[in-house]
Amino acid sequence: MRMRREQSAGRGRSSSRVHYGMSEIIITIVLVVLAVITIFPLVVPLLFAFKTQLEFAYHPWAIPEALRWNNFAEAWKAVRIDQGLLNTLIVCFGSILCTIPSAVLAGYVFARYRSRVTEILFYAILIGYFVPVQMVLVPLYRMEVSLKMNDTLYGLFLPMAAFGIPFWTLIYRSFFKSLPRELAEAASIDGAGHTKTFFRVMLPLAQPATVLAVLQVFMGAWNDYLLSLILLSDQNKFTMQLRVASFLNSYGTDRMPRYAAAVIISALPTLILYLVGHRWIIKGMLSGAIKE
Amino acid sequence: MEIVEGETSCAGKKKHKKKDRNRSVFIFFCILPAILFLVIFLYYPIEETFRLSLTKTTGLSKEVFVGTDNYQRLFHDEEFFAGLKHVFSWAFWSIVIQLPLSFFIAFSLTYYSNRFTRPLQAVFFLPNVLPSAITAMLGKFVFAPNYGLIVSLGKVLGWKWLASIDFLGNPNLAFWAIFAIATWAYSGFYVIYLMSRIEQIPRELREAAELDGASMWSYARRIVLPELNYPLRILAVLCTVGSLKLFDLPNMMTTGGPGNATVTLGITLYRHGFINWNYGKAAAIGVVIFVLSLVFTILQFSLGRKKDEAI
Repeated sequence: MRMRREQSAGRGRSSSRVHYGMSEIIITIVLVVLAVITIFPLVVPLLFAFKTQLEFAYHPWAIPEALRWNNFAEAWKAVRIDQGLLNTLIVCFGSILCTIPSAVLAGYVFARYRSRVTEILFYAILIGYFVPVQMVLVPLYRMEVSLKMNDTLYGLFLPMAAFGIPFWTLIYRSFFKSLPRELAEAASIDGAGHTKTFFRVMLPLAQPATVLAVLQVFMGAWNDYLLSLILLSDQNKFTMQLRVASFLNSYGTDRMPRYAAAVIISALPTLILYLVGHRWIIKGMLSGAIKE
Repeated sequence: MEIVEGETSCAGKKKHKKKDRNRSVFIFFCILPAILFLVIFLYYPIEETFRLSLTKTTGLSKEVFVGTDNYQRLFHDEEFFAGLKHVFSWAFWSIVIQLPLSFFIAFSLTYYSNRFTRPLQAVFFLPNVLPSAITAMLGKFVFAPNYGLIVSLGKVLGWKWLASIDFLGNPNLAFWAIFAIATWAYSGFYVIYLMSRIEQIPRELREAAELDGASMWSYARRIVLPELNYPLRILAVLCTVGSLKLFDLPNMMTTGGPGNATVTLGITLYRHGFINWNYGKAAAIGVVIFVLSLVFTILQFSLGRKKDEAI
C-alpha cells in the first residue's frame, strides 16, 4: 500500500499531488478526531480517579491535586478483581483444553476420512453452530443443578466448550482439507499408522490454526458474561466479569472517583493483554469471528 | 479420500480387514469427544427446550403439558413485544449507522494510509476486545446522571440542559445511550473486517481509477462499494443475528428498564426463566430466538453461496 503511494506520488508530482494532499489532510484529521473520541472514555477515568469526591464535584476536569490512591484501594476491595482473575483464568484454560483437542481430532477426521457416516456426523455437529446460547439456558441450568455442577468452574467451561466445538471443528476441517494430500500418503508409506500420522505429521502442521484457536477461545471465555451469570451464584466462584457486573449493581456512580478507579482496575487486565498482543488478536478475530 | 481407500483395497484381504478396523477405531475415538460434549451440553438441552416450551412448570411444581399455550401467551405479552421491537430496531439502526460509519473509517484508513492513520486501526479496534461487563461499566460512566462524563462536560461548558440529562433513566434516551456505547464497542470489528476486504481489491483498479482522474468518492462509490457488496451483506446479517442475542449491555446498564424501554429478547427470556422461574415461557422465547436466528443464518449461508467465500 505504502510503496504504491510513494510510486504514484513520484509519478504525478504536480497538481494532482496538491489536491491529493488537501483531502488527505482533512480525512486524516477526521480520523484522528474519531480515534480520540474512541479512546476518550478510557482515558477520562484516569482524570477522575485520583480525586476526592469534593474535589471532583468542583473541578471534574482539572488535573488532580495529588495522586490519591485510596479510591483504588476501595474499588479494589469492592471489585476484588484478583479473586475473579484466578477463576477467569481457570475457566479460560479449561475451555481451551476441552474445546481445541476435541475440535482438532474431529476436524481432522471430517477432512481426511470422509464416508457417509462421518459426513452425517459432521452435519450433526454443524447444527450446534446454529444454536444461540440463549436457547438452551433453562435446560442447561436445570441439568447442572440436578448434576450438582452449577456453582463449579468446570460446570461453566464444559458447556462453553460444547458451544465452541462446532465452529472450531469447521475451521480445522477446512484447514486440514487445504493441506496437500501427499503428506499423509508419504507418512503412511513410511509405515505410520493413523494415530502416528496424525500426531507426528498433521498436528504440528496445524499449529497456525491452533495458535489462533487458543487465542480466540481464551478471549471468548475471558469475555463471557451470560453463561457465568446463569450458572454461578456463589460469590467465591465469580469470574472477573461477574465481579464487575455485581459492582455495577451494588455501587452507584454517585461516588464517581471510586467508580472511575474501579473502571481502571477492571479494564486493566484486558488492556494489557491487548497492548501485548493486538496484532495477534486482530488477526485471530479476522480469521475466526466472521463465521459466527 | 479415494486414494486412502484404494490403497487399502490393494492389500490382501486379511490385512485389509485389520487396517479397516484400525481405521474405524481411529475415526471413532477422534469424533467421540466432540460428540460427547455436544450430546450432553447441546443436543439434550435443545430437546429439553422444545419439550419445556410445551409444558408449564416452575421447577418445583410438576411439569404439565399445555401444548402451545406458552407461545399463545407470548402473543399477549407486552414485555415480549417490547423485546421483539427493540431487537429489530436495534438491528435496523446498526445497519444504518454502524455499518456506514465503519465503512467510512475502513475506507479512509486504507485509502489514506499515512503515518498518522496507520496506528489508528488498533485504536478503533480496542473497544471491541473489552469484555461486555467493562463496556457496560464504561457506558454507565459516560451516561451517568449528576457525575457522568457527558454531564460533567455539560457542567464545564455551562450547558445546563446537557448537565441535567439522565440518559439511562429516561425511557426515550436509554435505548440510544446503550446503542451509542454498543456502536463504540462493536464498530471496531466491522472496521478491521472491511479493511481486510478492501486490501484484497487489486491495486490496478485504483491506479486505473486515478489515471482516469476519479476522485476519492467516485472511487469509493464505483469500485470499492460494489466489491464490498458481499462482505457488507454478511455484516448486515451479523448485526441482525447479534441483536437477536443482545443481552449483556442492556442487562448490566439498565436491566431492561426504565419500564420496558430497553428490554431485549434475551432479557425477557432471562426475566421469565430466572427471575419469575417460568421455565415454559422462557423456553418458548428460546425457541423463538432460535428460529429467528436460524432464518437469518440460513440467509447468510445462501448469500455465501454466490462466492467461494462460503464456509
